Amino acid sequence: MKKQAFTLSVFITLFWACTDLSQQETRVETAPELYVPPISTTLNVGSFPQPERNPMSQEGVLLGKKLFFDPNLSGNGKVSCATCHQPQLAFTDGVALGDHGVTGAKLDRHAPPLFNLAWNTNGLFWDGGAHDLESLNFGPLTHPDEMGADLNALLTYLNQEDEYLDLFEKAFPKSPIQSASISQAIAQYTRTLISQTSRYDLWKNGKTELSSLEIKGYKIYQAACASCHEEGLFTDQEYHNNGLDESYPDPIDKEGIFLGRFRITQDSLDLGAYKTPSLRNVTLTAPYMHDGRFATLEEVLDHYSSGIQQNSSLAPQLKGGIPLNAEEKQALITFLQTLQDDQFIQHHQQDNPDLP
Amino acid sequence: MKNISYLFLAVLFAFASCDKEDETPAQMNVEITFENTLNGNPLELNQENFTLPSGEPFMVKKFKYYISNVVLTDTESATQYIENDSYHLLGQDFNSVIDLGMIPSANYDQITFSIGVDEVANSRTDQTGDLDPNNDMAWNWNSGYKFVVLEGEFTHQSTQERTGLIFHIGTNSNYATVTLPLSGVMAGKASSIALETAIDELFSNPNILAPSNMASTTVMGGPVADQIGQNYAEGFIKAN
Repeated sequence: MKKQAFTLSVFITLFWACTDLSQQETRVETAPELYVPPISTTLNVGSFPQPERNPMSQEGVLLGKKLFFDPNLSGNGKVSCATCHQPQLAFTDGVALGDHGVTGAKLDRHAPPLFNLAWNTNGLFWDGGAHDLESLNFGPLTHPDEMGADLNALLTYLNQEDEYLDLFEKAFPKSPIQSASISQAIAQYTRTLISQTSRYDLWKNGKTELSSLEIKGYKIYQAACASCHEEGLFTDQEYHNNGLDESYPDPIDKEGIFLGRFRITQDSLDLGAYKTPSLRNVTLTAPYMHDGRFATLEEVLDHYSSGIQQNSSLAPQLKGGIPLNAEEKQALITFLQTLQDDQFIQHHQQDNPDLP
Repeated sequence: MKNISYLFLAVLFAFASCDKEDETPAQMNVEITFENTLNGNPLELNQENFTLPSGEPFMVKKFKYYISNVVLTDTESATQYIENDSYHLLGQDFNSVIDLGMIPSANYDQITFSIGVDEVANSRTDQTGDLDPNNDMAWNWNSGYKFVVLEGEFTHQSTQERTGLIFHIGTNSNYATVTLPLSGVMAGKASSIALETAIDELFSNPNILAPSNMASTTVMGGPVADQIGQNYAEGFIKAN
């Protein structure tokens, strides 16, 4: 197979050598080079998936980053993606339900942290309603209570800014600025938010030691949490009803938002089910759950120990709860602290020019 | 070998030019026009003189729909024209024509198209043209498109109040394929195929919907949306 690929590349090179040189040069100039970020083995992922229609380039990432932090994308010029996804909080906003959108209305779900999104290939949003980042971005961008953008007005704005014209030309040389490329650039940027340099990762790579309490916590994690928060990404990318409520309100004007993934699949087993969030950076992403109902990790562990609400869609592995004593909870939280990735946070501050 | 085929082409060409009178051109220009109606009357936006099948006075403020995957068939010669990348957003005070341009000549006597967007195109929204999300037809909670949008105000039968009515219909199960017979399309002649939508059909056949009795007059998915989807699958678009 390798040999075939080599032969093929020789042929391609020969073919290229025969083609008009000037043509070749323009091609090199216009098509941005594919960029694949380095991936730590501690993420436990095979490769870096990216959709064929939106290959990542340094140019695209640079553009996406500018868009991500630009409040002019919003309907009132005051709300950027980063308003609810702040780098220092692992790209979440620190409140249960945000009201920082253009209308100031309180949202119905907690802003999820953003990292390791490239591997979120089983649906995005808490209920998995978005199929990929390229499609997802239009959600918060146009939602009337979030950024409230008018995409046509947004195109007008971008076409008036020399810097954007230049960045779009470099990232997407083949097309004028359009809604699709706005979202594709933001998707390229958010795919570069890769958290893989926590103390846990260093430990796994043999570059640091964990304390005996941290290791005790790691063992408790493996026994009690890892079936859903699978080691590596620390999520199984699946949807589970983790026993937060016995029943779910369904007010007619909310279009099933409190029903969990049921809203997407209409499957009664998905009632109250939400995507397993990663445990990476969990010390930075309080409050917890899809509605931010738990302020601290202690409250979360209390829920799993003794607060599970039983109903027919409850995840079977939670039927008996996860009984942990105070000592075990403390050890577990000590381990979870090793998943905080300060290098990731530092690297992705808005003013760091290094990309990605 | 090459020479022979050139010769053949030349002969063919000469033959074709001698016989011009009887030959139908290889291509013909075809367009499809849509007229929107309610209870048989041409639709006008923001006009109060319309009535729903259930009797409520009704004013339409917005009416848009996707038509996709257009196919023309000449059943006699089994010739088909399949439009590529066939996604068209139509609506009142909006696009009302699908211009197929020059297509192979045939006596097309059947048209097939779908209401909505097929599962593949409906799986993502970073698309261009009529599928560009700036057309205000992309969902913001789910990747995909609204297939049929009807927004308006009706007078509620019990409260007599002006009440908003919003139908945003569009999940993969609401994708409906329609085949209609055509008459008058002749090989080689420019043709305009006139189709008609009937908004009243969204409220009836097989499911009768009376907005004054509906638990919610905002329908964006769920069982009522599926009922509306069943309603538009048949009789909603007819040959004019």
